[in-house]
Amino acid sequence: MNTVKRTEDIDFKQNYKREITKKVSFVVCSLVVLVVLAVLSCAIGTGYGFFETYQIILDHIMGVVPANKAEWWADHYVWENVLPSVVAAIIAGAGLALGGSVMQSMMGNPLADPYTTGISSGACFGAVASITLGLSFSSLGGEMGIVAMAFVGALVPALMMILLSKYINTSPSTLILIGTAISYFFNAMVTYVMVIADADALQDAFIWQIGAVSDLHWSDIPLMLCVVAIGSVLIMVVSNKLNLMMMGDNSAKTMGLDVENFRMLCLILISILVASIISFTGIIGFVGLIAPHITRFIIGGDNKFVVPAGMLMGAIILCLADLASRCLLDYGNVPIGVVMSFIGAPVFLYLVTRSKSDKEVF
Amino acid sequence: MASRHEGYRRLCRRKVLFIAGFMILTAVVAIFSLNVGFYETSFSQVFDVIWSNLNGQPVSSRQDQLIIWDIRVPEALVAIMTGAALSVGGAVMQTVLRNPLADSYTMGISSGAFFGVTIAAIAGISILPGVGGNLATVFNAFICSLIPVALILLISRKRRMTPTKIILIGIAIMYVFSAVSTLLMLTADSETLADVYAWRVGTLSQVEWGHVGIIFVFVTLGLIYLMLNNKKYNLMMAGENCAQTMGIDTKRTTLTSLSIVSLVTAAVVSFTGTIGFIGLVGPHIARIFVGSESKYLIPASAAFGAAFLLVADCVSRVSGTYGLPVGVISAMIGCPLFIIILVKMRSKEWA
Repeated sequence: MNTVKRTEDIDFKQNYKREITKKVSFVVCSLVVLVVLAVLSCAIGTGYGFFETYQIILDHIMGVVPANKAEWWADHYVWENVLPSVVAAIIAGAGLALGGSVMQSMMGNPLADPYTTGISSGACFGAVASITLGLSFSSLGGEMGIVAMAFVGALVPALMMILLSKYINTSPSTLILIGTAISYFFNAMVTYVMVIADADALQDAFIWQIGAVSDLHWSDIPLMLCVVAIGSVLIMVVSNKLNLMMMGDNSAKTMGLDVENFRMLCLILISILVASIISFTGIIGFVGLIAPHITRFIIGGDNKFVVPAGMLMGAIILCLADLASRCLLDYGNVPIGVVMSFIGAPVFLYLVTRSKSDKEVF
Repeated sequence: MASRHEGYRRLCRRKVLFIAGFMILTAVVAIFSLNVGFYETSFSQVFDVIWSNLNGQPVSSRQDQLIIWDIRVPEALVAIMTGAALSVGGAVMQTVLRNPLADSYTMGISSGAFFGVTIAAIAGISILPGVGGNLATVFNAFICSLIPVALILLISRKRRMTPTKIILIGIAIMYVFSAVSTLLMLTADSETLADVYAWRVGTLSQVEWGHVGIIFVFVTLGLIYLMLNNKKYNLMMAGENCAQTMGIDTKRTTLTSLSIVSLVTAAVVSFTGTIGFIGLVGPHIARIFVGSESKYLIPASAAFGAAFLLVADCVSRVSGTYGLPVGVISAMIGCPLFIIILVKMRSKEWA
């Protein structure tokens, strides 16, 4: 009897280990794929060969001084013209996917995405107000003025939600509904501003809304990178708690989690994270919603793995979209969000219809 | 026993009162709305025009006839039907998919319709041959808005469907459509862009008598069907397994309800553009007052939606020189209203 039990035990342990190995190897594979895609995107963007580009980037990072003028130009071209948008695509993809997976687990709703609480519409309102009405902070003009306004606007819905949370029950569905209502409100304000603006300002605002990474520079990167890095570490630390949240509020409470406070903290974190990304890139949809779903289809719903793998998946998706728009289309004129939906949505559709129900989490 | 019975009766009476109250409100606002607008009219004029038209007599003032009978009356009727249809559509979607975020547009209807409009307005393509101008826009919107639901029906014949899957498929299709629309919008000049943008926000000011009949047929038949199925929806709320145990073919009920809601919504959206907010929030507000029982929820959503959209339409007509689109106004009024109601009621309907 005892021996039987022990062999079962060993089987179970081995199975579990095998599962873990599978998930870890998925994460590692994704990382490799991401690096290859990033270099490939740079290579296609510049017209150099794949390994040549790889060497150029590696040399720059290692601090190797370019030997002659041609090398200096190559270095400059790769480093200044192409790499910023690729890096931005990776950071934005990772950050939005992180936001999406946290939001979905926290709200227990497959329809949730990083914008569910109205962040995108708030940012949009800030940016549109800045573009069409010329509103800005006194010291910041032009491009940075729009970024600052978008950032502040993005935090307004979260702030409203925090203020309201004392007066309402903070169940996921109420929060989602309030978030959606707030986003409708800000969308209405955007429309109002657009209606009173002239047609050209409307076009500018429309283009800002779609979201793009093609016109970003190195100076835009540090803030995004810092926030996403800190945010992802914090979320990784609490990923066990996110798993508890997915079982529903009551179960999570039984397990000793202060559900309401934890949810509000996550909301604040995600709001800052997403705000710092989209104020530079504009509203990039889709990736935050589907990257976590695709990850769950492949490795199941454990947030310890969904969070990092989802971030990699998001980065891969956005990087791939960047790559595709470099190969196929007029780069810079077709926004990355459009390319991504074009390629990503059919793939996602296929995955949804094919998915086995045992990997289905919601 | 008797007192418990009495308590239940009182609860039901309160629900009926809510429904009746909003129906009366709709009627009152409808009459009042005929007087709202830039062209000043009095109640006696309005009464005159309507009476003469109903009796088939000629109206003394042609301008009155034009403004009141040809513009304001159809607008009010369409506002009532649109509000009712979108709100009930949202209520049924939320019940069937068991997701508080679902609304009449969850199946990708709005982006499908919008895609139809952009290809008509920007690329000049009409799906039905030999149709041009406004009619092409309407037909394109109607046909394209039904593509997502058709695709879902097609996939569901081969695969098992869960509410989550249906939602995700709807979203994927939505993104494909909006990607194409966005691409087209980027190629458009700023004037056409403004036109298309206005359509997306949704407006009631373009409706004519010809539209009223078509919308009426779709909306009435659809609402009657949904109302007849209200017992099934109650069981669906209890979960799929539960409903199946009670003898309901959940897959069939889900899919037919989705199709009916899509048809009704498509018919409305093709004429008015995508009026948002009411489909999502209307049923939630109704639910806060009458609870989730579909027998009351469906008529309550209809009554509230109709009254709300009518009020929003009145406000939109008097706001600014050109009038803000009704979609904008409904979000601007509705959002604070919704938050106030949530704060006051501390509702737990979904939790």
